[in-house]
Amino acid sequence: MDKVALTACLVASLFGLVLPDPTRQSVAGSIRETFVGPVIALQVQAERARGAFVSRDISAARLDSLVLRNAELRDMELENEHLRGLLGLGARLHTRFVPAQALHRPEFGDPQTVLVTAGARAGVVERSAVVAPDGLIGTVVNVEQETSTALLWTHPDFRVSAMSADGKVFGIVSPHLGTDVDGFMLELRGVAFRDSLAPGTEIRSSGLGSVFPRGIPIGTVVESITTPSAYARTYLVRPAVMPADVTVVMVLLPASVNLESAWKSPASDSLTRAIGAAADSIARARRDTVRRDTTRRSP
Amino acid sequence: MRSFSLLKGIGVFLLLVVLHYTVRPLLGTRVSIDFLVIALMLAAVHVRPGAAALLGFVTGVIADSLTPLSFGAGALAMSAVASAASWLKSTVFGDNMLLQAIFIAAGKWAFDVVYLVAERRLSFGDLLVHLVLWSPLSAIATGLAGVLVVLVFRISMEPRP
Repeated sequence: MDKVALTACLVASLFGLVLPDPTRQSVAGSIRETFVGPVIALQVQAERARGAFVSRDISAARLDSLVLRNAELRDMELENEHLRGLLGLGARLHTRFVPAQALHRPEFGDPQTVLVTAGARAGVVERSAVVAPDGLIGTVVNVEQETSTALLWTHPDFRVSAMSADGKVFGIVSPHLGTDVDGFMLELRGVAFRDSLAPGTEIRSSGLGSVFPRGIPIGTVVESITTPSAYARTYLVRPAVMPADVTVVMVLLPASVNLESAWKSPASDSLTRAIGAAADSIARARRDTVRRDTTRRSP
Repeated sequence: MRSFSLLKGIGVFLLLVVLHYTVRPLLGTRVSIDFLVIALMLAAVHVRPGAAALLGFVTGVIADSLTPLSFGAGALAMSAVASAASWLKSTVFGDNMLLQAIFIAAGKWAFDVVYLVAERRLSFGDLLVHLVLWSPLSAIATGLAGVLVVLVFRISMEPRP
């Protein structure tokens, strides 16, 4: 009996071996599709797990590359936006200027100055104002042939004659020498006691003293602060520009001109863009509505 | 008691079939453990050669369904190996760990020989390399894994009465 069973099995197996290919495929396929199905599902899961394990390092490397690329893109996006701002400002300025790179040098222990990649050869002289699309950054204190050094507004020696945007209140802006977050603010000192400024008032350079042209945005008033002087008021001012964020600047060459028209009212550019975007959205919504109505009527 | 052993045997057999299609692909090495052969060898010692041949045939057909180009080779090899295991276990080997490992390893190597020859896919050189190098290594791995299964599940390797 055992021999019969064994012989039958061997003969059936040999028969399977000599079957034509299509028949073999068909028989194997029928078996796969029926009771071997769950086994195949298990094998697929196992193969997938192995594939995931083997490709884990490659996937991690790709993910790292993408994250890095994304960070670089963000930097480029910011720089692009900044350059667009500079181009717009350059077109509006009615004075000569030199565009340049601002190279920060915190590693040399002097975070309050920047190296500007434009020097005497480009016409830069000492006390030239250094500005960004949003406002004042500092002033040139040292000029070489190809480069110059600019003192940022964060430096304790920095001073600029300032006024309210409407030109009614005057004072001197200097860095607020706080130890905490206030260390990144400015002070508007020497405001006559009879004058007062509301929070949010824009402060610009007054042009007095002939160092900075009139009308360069400096910042906005945050609040009045108490000082020992009984004859003048002092205001805390939020700067228009944080120097650490700036990599491209414009050095204004000496000229006694009024730059008030070069800088529009605060955030007017972004306001214009926002209005434009809103108008686009409204137009798009109107088009969609018309299209829906047309679709409804057509049948 | 006898029915419990039978159920346990069936359970272990099915578990080994599942392991063959889950753990083996995970390892993905050329020297692999053949859980189907282990399952077959463990079952074969408890049944008569004819029943072992039938069990081997069914198991082989299932395995062959995943490799249609060599359909029949697995069934042939498993039928032969299972039948031989059933016969040999009752006449030659005792219940000894080392002998059990050799028994299962020999079963695996014999399976590879029959399978590869019947399949006729490899050239003579490749066949020789496979049978002399990779098959023995796989056989050793399978033998050790088989003994581990016997120990873990306390499967009796005493032959049928």
